[in-house]
Amino acid sequence: MTMNGLRVVLAALMLLSALPVGAAEPIHIALSAPMTGNYAEYGQQFQRSIDLAVEWANAAGGIHGRPIAVVSGDSKGDPKEAAALAQKFTSDKRIVAEIGDFTSSACMAAQPIYERAGMVQLSPTASHPEFAPGSPWSFGIIGTQAGEGPFMAKYAVEKLGKKRIAVLYINNDWGIATKDYFVKAAQGLGAQVVAVESFFEADKDFTGVLTKLRGVKPDALYIPAMYNEGALIEKQREKLGWSDVVVLGPGSLYSPKLLEIGGGAVNGLHTSAVFFPNDPRPDVQKFVKGFEAKYKATPNMFAAIAYDAANLMIETLRKAGTDRQAIREELAKTKDFVGVTGRIAFTSQRDVVKDYRYLVIRDGQFTLYTP
Amino acid sequence: MLVPQLINGLTQGSLYALVAVGFVIIFGTLNLVTFAHGEVYMVAAFVGYFALAVYHLPWPLALLAGMVAGAVLGMATEKLAFRPMRSAGHMPPLLITIGLSVILKDLAVIVWGAENRAVPSIYQQTIQVAGVHVSVLQLVILALACALVGVLRLLLHRTRMGRAMRATAQDHEAAYAMGVNINRVFSVAFALASALGGAAGVLVGIYYNTVYATMGSTAGLKGFAACIFGGLTSIPGAILGGLIIGVVENLTVQFMASGYRDVVAFLVMVAVLIVRPQGLLGKTLRSI
Repeated sequence: MTMNGLRVVLAALMLLSALPVGAAEPIHIALSAPMTGNYAEYGQQFQRSIDLAVEWANAAGGIHGRPIAVVSGDSKGDPKEAAALAQKFTSDKRIVAEIGDFTSSACMAAQPIYERAGMVQLSPTASHPEFAPGSPWSFGIIGTQAGEGPFMAKYAVEKLGKKRIAVLYINNDWGIATKDYFVKAAQGLGAQVVAVESFFEADKDFTGVLTKLRGVKPDALYIPAMYNEGALIEKQREKLGWSDVVVLGPGSLYSPKLLEIGGGAVNGLHTSAVFFPNDPRPDVQKFVKGFEAKYKATPNMFAAIAYDAANLMIETLRKAGTDRQAIREELAKTKDFVGVTGRIAFTSQRDVVKDYRYLVIRDGQFTLYTP
Repeated sequence: MLVPQLINGLTQGSLYALVAVGFVIIFGTLNLVTFAHGEVYMVAAFVGYFALAVYHLPWPLALLAGMVAGAVLGMATEKLAFRPMRSAGHMPPLLITIGLSVILKDLAVIVWGAENRAVPSIYQQTIQVAGVHVSVLQLVILALACALVGVLRLLLHRTRMGRAMRATAQDHEAAYAMGVNINRVFSVAFALASALGGAAGVLVGIYYNTVYATMGSTAGLKGFAACIFGGLTSIPGAILGGLIIGVVENLTVQFMASGYRDVVAFLVMVAVLIVRPQGLLGKTLRSI
């Protein structure tokens, strides 16, 4: 056989092997996430996890023989872009539902467009308490700050016994909601909130605001921030020699990146988590191993929640088919979906209540908190 | 809390100043603005990161590596964007540097990824002076910034090349007529400016323990603002401009709120420019 003949045979074989799912018309779902810009790394985590989930689902036969295809759009973390993407996705007849976006602000800007067009908007991470209730087509699976805020307040006031608490929050929809729920709950528990300061999304310099907060002598500092800023705040706090304060932050801090950037400065930091890479549950281990094999990196909470969003969507498509309305009805019925971040059961407002765990960083590792 | 805030502000301001001085050197000699300066700073910061975190070199070597990388990239910018466009007026080179800045930034995102990279810490300790906590690293950065500016001053005022640069800054044609190799002067101006920008990039990486692909944009903007604020062609002006911006920002954080830092900093700049359109130490005669 000539080389060319061999190539033809090989090509034919490859085509054949792809047939079981490749032959049918794919089902398109959309992903709106920040692939560039300030939040690019979170968007890329979304993309990776969703690619992985879809790859596995397609290898297992797709949706009744039809493969799933993901149409990704870059929202740049900008609410305007997210709204433009929503226009694009909803007017594309092939797309049956959407996953995204990352920030609550972007989700809420796109929300009316999905609602008007009648397409499911399933956000892995929007935790603003007004997001999911805002439209019958919007779903959030990370839990809201209405749940996590009081949880962290209890941690600070009851478990750690702190009475003078300062708050340094990121000035966006999520940060404001996170701060508000925490402050309200902490005051309700009898603690005094002695200072509240904010910072902007791209800020890297916290020395000024930390110096100011230090001046009011709080015994605890609560930092609603992403892990990048959280690590920088901790680094700069250490550099300023401010050690007589206990620092806490919501589960957004829970990432290997926090340990990597924060180094020794994050030891003693308290946070919460819904996802542990070391969780022995088989589905968690399958995800962690698969993710590590494919991307040479340990998945963080954002990757895990996006993976759950993708699998929840795939399971819903299996049950509901490709009608946009049927998908919404089926998704809203979700009561016992178990993902790597725990059980997903939608409330009547299409958000979920998560089980959080108290974590503290000891010797550069996240560990369960024991008093 | 006033003294620590002043030190915070001076440290931050000295880093702005290093970037601003780069703009002054380039504008002073070529009478042109480069928008790729922030990205030169970013690339140098990454070089510093690799030297420190991957090759575990001591920080002075990392600083040097970043400065050399900055200088090389700066000279390349000059060759690519300015030299072929010498007679084309102001707009084409400006556009090329904008393009270059976008290309460098996006390439950095593609090659190095969008995430923050952790730069190892140095000089973690604080010392207590008269009851005030002072970070040793802040003092080191302040000292280094002063040293770099001192060396620059020596280069400009004590060497033949420095004299050639100052002559070119005053009058391109006259300097050329007197036998100054203008191309070399421009190349050296870019190298010096970019080495300083590179030093700022590496130091910022060390100071905040992080480098990332999009870090050049804000730095470029703040540096350029400090340069105009200081008088566009005055090195002492740019330094003063950078320091004032840094201090005003931190005092705003202390006495108002963190969110107002840029608002107040730019309001102060606008207010000064209304009274003194030529900037803090600007002159009508061009020089550096």
